[in-house]
Amino acid sequence: MLLQIKDLFKWVNSGGNRIFLLNDIELTVNEGDFISIMGPSGSGKTTLLNVIGMLDDFNEGEYSFLHEPVHKLKEKHRANLYKEYIGFVFQSYHLIDELTVYENIETPLLYKNYKSSERKSLVADMLDRFNIVGKKDLFPTQLSGGQQQIVGIARALISNPKLILADEPTGNLNSKQGEEIMNLFKQLNDEGVTIIQVTHSEKNATYGSRIINLLDGRIINTV
Amino acid sequence: MLRNHFKIAWRNLVKNKGLSIINIIGLALGMAVVILIGLWINDEVTYNQNHENYDRIAHVLLNRTANGETRTRTPIPFPLGEEIRKKYGDSFDYVVMSSFHGDNILSIDNKSLSMYGGFMEPDALRMLSLKMMYGDWGGLKKPNSVVISQSTAKAFFDDINPIGKFIKVNNLLNVVVTGVYQDIPFNARFHGLEFIAPWELYVTSHDWVRYARDNNLWDNNSYQLFVQIADGTDMTLVNAKIKDAIYNNLPDYSRSHPELVLHPMKDWHLRSNWKNGVNIGGFIQYVWLFGVIGLFVLLLACINFMNLSTAQSEKRAKEVGVLKSIGSSKRQLINQFLSESFLVVVLAFILAVNLVFLAIPAFNQLADKQIIFPYKNMLFWLINVGFILVTSIIAGSYPAFYLSSFRPVKVLKGTFKAGKMAMTFRKTLVIVQFTVSVILVIGTIVVKKQIDHSKNRPIGYEKNRLVMIEKVTEDYEGKYNTLRSELLNSGAIAEMSESSSPLTDVWSSGGGFEWEGKDPNFLTNIVTVCVSHDYGNTVGWDLVEGRDFSRTFSTDSTAFILNEAAVKYMGIKNPIGKTIRWNNQEHQVIGVVKNILAESPFEPVKQAVYMIKYNNTNWIELKLNPYKSANESLAAVKTVFNKYIPNVPFEYQFVGDAFAKKFVAEERIRKLSTVFTFFAIFISCLGLFGLTSFIVEQRTKEIGIRKVVGASVFTLWKLLSKDFIMLIALAIIIAVPLAYYGATHWLNNYEYRTEISWKVFAISGIGAVAMTLLTVSLQAIKIARANPIKSLKIE
Repeated sequence: MLLQIKDLFKWVNSGGNRIFLLNDIELTVNEGDFISIMGPSGSGKTTLLNVIGMLDDFNEGEYSFLHEPVHKLKEKHRANLYKEYIGFVFQSYHLIDELTVYENIETPLLYKNYKSSERKSLVADMLDRFNIVGKKDLFPTQLSGGQQQIVGIARALISNPKLILADEPTGNLNSKQGEEIMNLFKQLNDEGVTIIQVTHSEKNATYGSRIINLLDGRIINTV
Repeated sequence: MLRNHFKIAWRNLVKNKGLSIINIIGLALGMAVVILIGLWINDEVTYNQNHENYDRIAHVLLNRTANGETRTRTPIPFPLGEEIRKKYGDSFDYVVMSSFHGDNILSIDNKSLSMYGGFMEPDALRMLSLKMMYGDWGGLKKPNSVVISQSTAKAFFDDINPIGKFIKVNNLLNVVVTGVYQDIPFNARFHGLEFIAPWELYVTSHDWVRYARDNNLWDNNSYQLFVQIADGTDMTLVNAKIKDAIYNNLPDYSRSHPELVLHPMKDWHLRSNWKNGVNIGGFIQYVWLFGVIGLFVLLLACINFMNLSTAQSEKRAKEVGVLKSIGSSKRQLINQFLSESFLVVVLAFILAVNLVFLAIPAFNQLADKQIIFPYKNMLFWLINVGFILVTSIIAGSYPAFYLSSFRPVKVLKGTFKAGKMAMTFRKTLVIVQFTVSVILVIGTIVVKKQIDHSKNRPIGYEKNRLVMIEKVTEDYEGKYNTLRSELLNSGAIAEMSESSSPLTDVWSSGGGFEWEGKDPNFLTNIVTVCVSHDYGNTVGWDLVEGRDFSRTFSTDSTAFILNEAAVKYMGIKNPIGKTIRWNNQEHQVIGVVKNILAESPFEPVKQAVYMIKYNNTNWIELKLNPYKSANESLAAVKTVFNKYIPNVPFEYQFVGDAFAKKFVAEERIRKLSTVFTFFAIFISCLGLFGLTSFIVEQRTKEIGIRKVVGASVFTLWKLLSKDFIMLIALAIIIAVPLAYYGATHWLNNYEYRTEISWKVFAISGIGAVAMTLLTVSLQAIKIARANPIKSLKIE
């Protein structure tokens, strides 16, 4: 078991009313799962993903990640936890425009104090694995959307995470590029990486082993 | 439309409260500094303008040359006034001989007060166009008259009309009050002149002046001469005409070649320095300096305003996009943004005026001024309206044109990014601001060091518990021994002496010294100080060689004690026992003392000789008893003085206080520059703050990403600060040589000066870096701590 969420609530107060962003979430994720979170706009998909990624907090409930009780951890400890085990992939890639492909992929390693030689070999592996060695000195704006997302995934994978969280990874891509990215995810999943993705697309959802449908912050069913 | 502009402008201000407040305060401070400096400069350049004919009045100065160096001095000989009146009268309206002004004792019945004043020829009142409250400008025509100031009149006669009342001057002369003039304003040379007595009275009541008149002494310079040139004449031409008026009467003086110089009244205050007979300016350099600083401060404040408002450009860009897409023209947008800056400038101005109003008392104290806030002066407000308009255009133009030029489609799609140009512009600005700040910091430290350096300089005597009293009237004559023994008996003092010059000044110097081995062509000029036998013991001078004056040697009446500078000046080896000829008399050197610092603490001590002479002393020195409190001793001294010199009010000053006054000008510059430095630093930090907020805004997304991929707050802080440190380092590199050059230049004004050590630069540099880190950290830490999902969500 990778993570487990029990009785989780998240809300905001607006004009005396309590609006639930996440309402009584129960979720268990095992290593090797490929989960797709679906639901209409505003149903809480991204919020749930951010909570799982420890980027956002919650008001009530329990969340344990690798048997560590996340809700009891201090900020710093929590940051160390997600730095170590979680990689993020975004709809709009979120690459740093001022850095080259190589440097973008290298960044997480810098923050984990890897030695220069280690960084070199790890980044080289990654470039090789995604066939982008020739593009390593280009800047993100010089790449197509699909290529940028590949760099984004490479960056997420560089520190060898157990879990990849992807927020509509194909949302800004055309269908062909989208398919490539989904195949890549499938392949990664086969290699043992746990993946949770948020998606609008029924087709993309089928790549996963499990689909969670959200409505108004509540899990309505799991397929 | 305009109302709409202001409505939107106001809402924008209120919405961004923090930024608006910073913006308004920054601009207000800049404006306040400019208004203050403006008032200060106005005060400086209107010096002496209370005199109606101020552009035609001049002080006649005298250039004399010795050993290749020309010195410009105020004293002129007695017959000069009459000579000019007689031979060059056509060129002048008034020629006014005057004594040197100083403290004199005025008394009525049983009230006597020390009053600052002097003796002048009758035309003085008309020339100075004094505003008479009683009497008229003819008040000094009769020799036994006196004209007094309003406050003098009040001190003696309260509010009653004093015309016709009798006053005694220096306990000798009975004169009748013939006029009362309004007090002369603070920013005038003659401010504080409490009475004017007729020149004629000066002549008849002083033997030595009468002697000078009766013997037509052209080579005794002890008086002043003021003139007003005739209407329609030119100061330079008149000067050329009269320049040899003394030399023509002293043909033997071809080597020192006395030459007259007219020093126009408008230059008295700001251009009072002379070098080799030529006017080389003076305080005017500080007027320029502070003027430039003032403009700079305003410019920096304006630029900061632009910076802070464009830093928000990306937020405002959306508004521009929307406005443009619903049909607003570029022109209307420019007006919108200009209205906004106008609103800010007006708010800042209101704040600035209040700040100035509150700051004026403190500023007056700091700058030794009596500036009044000119709220009744229409011109002042008119200038300020112009000032507001110019400032709002300078401050508002860049944001207006910059923001209004955004392309709506780009902006609305969210692909808008402020250009590289904008960034370079901002960075340059911060560099400029910090360069100025660092230069000011270094300058202020150097001024402080120079003052400390000169204060710590050996002065050659012990000023602790040393009191000096000026013998203002004849009442003191012949009472030395009585006073001394009475004071010693009372235990109030440790020793007492008399001297011709005060310890903190040189009152006489002269030539005509001859000694063995002197180059016959060498024109001597040596300070002469007449003292009583107990001088050395009283002031605690430091004998290097030989012995002090002693009553046991009757020959000491012609003995000399030299200071070290004199030994060096004369080039005598083993001076003790050597003979010096002066005034047709042989003088034996019996001792050498360490240099006594009497004049400027920034210049080398002049060569001086000390001699015993009891009938030519003007000052009494008292060394208070070290085992008693100063107050107790002074009370006892006062009792003794009141007993033996009942007609003169007992007034004294501590030598230490008089010495401290030598630093007044430098201290003032230090204080002013400290204040301006503070403002410059503050405004620079504001500029930096603007740049930080701009950069942070631009990099919000990047910082969010970095945080998501694992950057810690500390790493992000380092990342953000690094760029700024580079900028500041650059500013320091630019500032150091400039500051070094400026400081060296300034120090060259002083013969005795401090060294500029590398530590000054190090301290300033470290200070600048620390300020930078502090300013940058305020925002860097905030953004680094922010939750990244917020910054990544905004798309």
